[in-house]
Amino acid sequence: MRRLPVYLLLDTSGSMTGEPIEAVKNGVQVMISSLRQNPQAIETAFISIITFDSVAKQVIPLTDLASFQMVDIKATGTTCLGEGLKLVSTCIDNEVAKTTAEQKGDWKPLVFIMTDGIPTDDWQSGLEEFKKRKTAYTVACAAGSGADSNLLKQITENVVSLDTADSQSIAKFFSWVSASIGVTSTKVEDAGKEVTGLSELPPPPSELNIVV
Amino acid sequence: MSDAKQLLTQLFKNNNINVPANRMNLFDKFLQDEQNIAAINTINQNQDWLMTKWKLQDRIAEIMQQPVRILNASVGKSYEAKFDFEKFGWKDITAYEFEGLEEAGLLYDEKTKQITGNPTQSGDIKIVFKFKLEAQPEDAPLNEKIITLIINPDPKSLWKNLESDKNDPYWKEDDVSVFAPIGDRHILVSSKRGRAHANVGSFREDDFAFKYLENGWSIVVVGDGAGSAKISRKGSALACNSVVDYFMEKSSVENMKEFDEFLQQHKTNPDEDTLKKLNHFVYNHLGKAVFYVHKQLEEFTTKEGFPLKDLNSTLVFTLFKKYDIGYALLSFGVGDCPMAVLNKNVSKIINLNWIDVGEFGGGTRFITMPEIFKNEKFPTRFNFKLIDDFSYLILMSDGIYDPKFVVEANLPNIKTWQKFLEDLGGKNEDRIKVELRVDNKDIVEQLSRWMDFWSIGNHDDRTLAIVF
Repeated sequence: MRRLPVYLLLDTSGSMTGEPIEAVKNGVQVMISSLRQNPQAIETAFISIITFDSVAKQVIPLTDLASFQMVDIKATGTTCLGEGLKLVSTCIDNEVAKTTAEQKGDWKPLVFIMTDGIPTDDWQSGLEEFKKRKTAYTVACAAGSGADSNLLKQITENVVSLDTADSQSIAKFFSWVSASIGVTSTKVEDAGKEVTGLSELPPPPSELNIVV
Repeated sequence: MSDAKQLLTQLFKNNNINVPANRMNLFDKFLQDEQNIAAINTINQNQDWLMTKWKLQDRIAEIMQQPVRILNASVGKSYEAKFDFEKFGWKDITAYEFEGLEEAGLLYDEKTKQITGNPTQSGDIKIVFKFKLEAQPEDAPLNEKIITLIINPDPKSLWKNLESDKNDPYWKEDDVSVFAPIGDRHILVSSKRGRAHANVGSFREDDFAFKYLENGWSIVVVGDGAGSAKISRKGSALACNSVVDYFMEKSSVENMKEFDEFLQQHKTNPDEDTLKKLNHFVYNHLGKAVFYVHKQLEEFTTKEGFPLKDLNSTLVFTLFKKYDIGYALLSFGVGDCPMAVLNKNVSKIINLNWIDVGEFGGGTRFITMPEIFKNEKFPTRFNFKLIDDFSYLILMSDGIYDPKFVVEANLPNIKTWQKFLEDLGGKNEDRIKVELRVDNKDIVEQLSRWMDFWSIGNHDDRTLAIVF
C-alpha cells in the first residue's frame, strides 16, 4: 500500500506561548478527527509532527491516522526553523519508502510549515537540505505579523498568511490543511495522480491570505 | 532539645518573640505545664492532619494530571490494550471503577490488566476512571479522572455507495458480470465500479467487450478510462466497442484469411522468414484497428465539441483462434492493463504486453494520445504468440493489477499468477471462491462477489476477464 506521508512542521518558540500554542494543539486534534471520517484519508494518510524552538524535535513519527495520538507541546525558546527543515529532510529519508522494481513506494510527502516569527538560526543551510528532498507540495503559513512571508517564499512558492495568530485563524488554517490532505488522498487513490500545488487544493478560507 | 521545646521556639521565633537566657528557666517550666503540653500536642496533631491531607490532595491531583494514553480502538476490530496500574505508578489505588467502557463495548479485566472488547461506535469516548487511594477514608467519594479513548470508525463503513446518474448521456451500469461461450472456449468477465467512485456517486470508467467473430477468431478487449478525464467512461466504452466493430467488418474478416495462409506457411516452414511475415501481419492489421479506434474517438469528440483528452482511456485486446497446431494469440496494449496467457498445466506464464506505468503523476499512456503512434516503441505494443494450448487467458484493469500484482516485477513470475488463481479459488480473507468450470451455474455471482475484495488503498474500478 502506498502511504501519503504528511509532515507538520510547527513553530513552538516562546512567542507561541498561550493562545497560539493551545490553538495549534487543538487544530491538530480537530484535523485528525475530521480526517478519520474520510475513508481515503484514513487508509492512506500518515502524519508526523515536528516542532522547532531552540531545537527541532520529531514529537510524533510518521503515524497512521487510526493510531495517531496528539502529544502535549509547549512553547519555549527561540525559532530554529533551519533545524526544523533539516530534521524534516532526514525524516523523509528515513520514513518515506522509495519505489523500486519490487515494491511500490509511498506517495511524495506533503509538508505544512507554520511559524509566527523570524528564524533565529542559519535557516538557509536547512533550506538547502530540504530542497534536495522531493515533496508533492510544501505549504508555509506565516501566522501573525511577526512572521516574514517573503522569507517563507524562499522555502516554497505556496505561502499563506494569517493576519493574527489567534485561535480562530489558527483553527481555520488547520481545517484547510485537513481539507487539503483529504483532497490529496482522494486524488492519489482515485486518479493515481499527485497534487502539485496550491491551485489544486481547496480554496483557503478568508482568514488565509495567499501570498503572491 | 525536646520536640516540644523546638516547636515552641520556632513558633516564638516566627512571631519575633525572643526568649533571653535569663528567661530559660521560666520557659522550661512553661513547657512542663500540663495545659501547655496539651496545646502543643494539639498543634502537632493539627499539623500532621494538615500535612496528610495536603499530601493526599497533591497525590490525587498528580494522578488526575498524569497523561494516560491508551491505544486507539477501531469499530469492528477486537481491541486489547494494557491498562496496568503498576506501570502508571498507581499502587496506592485501593478501589476503582470505569464508567463509559461498557457503553463502548469494552471491559476491564483486572487479572490480565487489559481493556478488551469489540468497539461498536466510533468517536472520542470519554471514559471516567473513578478511583480511591488507600489514604482516603472509606466513606470518601471516588475521584474521577477522564481518559479519552479514540475509537476509529470502521473504514469500510465510511464508504458510501451512491448510485450514478442514470440520466447522464454517457451513463453506464455500475457493475456488470457476464459468463458466455466464446469460440471453442468460455469467457467470464466482471467490471465493477470502484469504491472511490461509488463514494461520490460517479461512474465506472472501466469497460470491456468480447466477441466471437465469424472467421473463427475471438476477441477480448479491456479499457480503463482515466480518472482525470471528464468523460473517460465514454472513452473506454467507445474504444472497446470500436475494436470489436473493426474486426467484425467484412473487410477485416476477409483480411484475416491472410493470416491463415501465413500461419500455414509457418507451419510447413517454421523459420524466421515465415515468422516475420506473421509478425508483420499482426503489426499492420492490428495497427489499422488501433488507428481506427483512435479516429473513432477523435470523430466523436469533434462532433460533441470536446477535447480528445476528455476521452482518455487505456486499451488492451487479444484476438485468439484455434488452429490444428495450437492457438494463435494476437494482441495490442496501451496503458497499464496486463494481459497474459497461462499454459495448459499452469506452469508457464506468457505476458502479452508490457505495461505503461509512469513515474509519479500519471505517466500512463492512452489510446487517445496521437504521440503513441509516432513513438518508436509503437511496434512493441503488438504481440503474436503461438501456443499448443492454454488454461487461462486473462485481461485485467489496474484496479485488479494494483492490489493483486502490485509491481511490474510480479507479472512475468508464474508464482504470482498461481497465487492469483488460488486467490480466485477461495484462498482469500473472505473465503470467496470462484469455481472456473463451465457447468458452474453460480459462476457469475461468484466472480462478482470475489471482485469486491477489500484492499486498503485500492478502490479503483476493477475489470477482470478470464477465458478458459
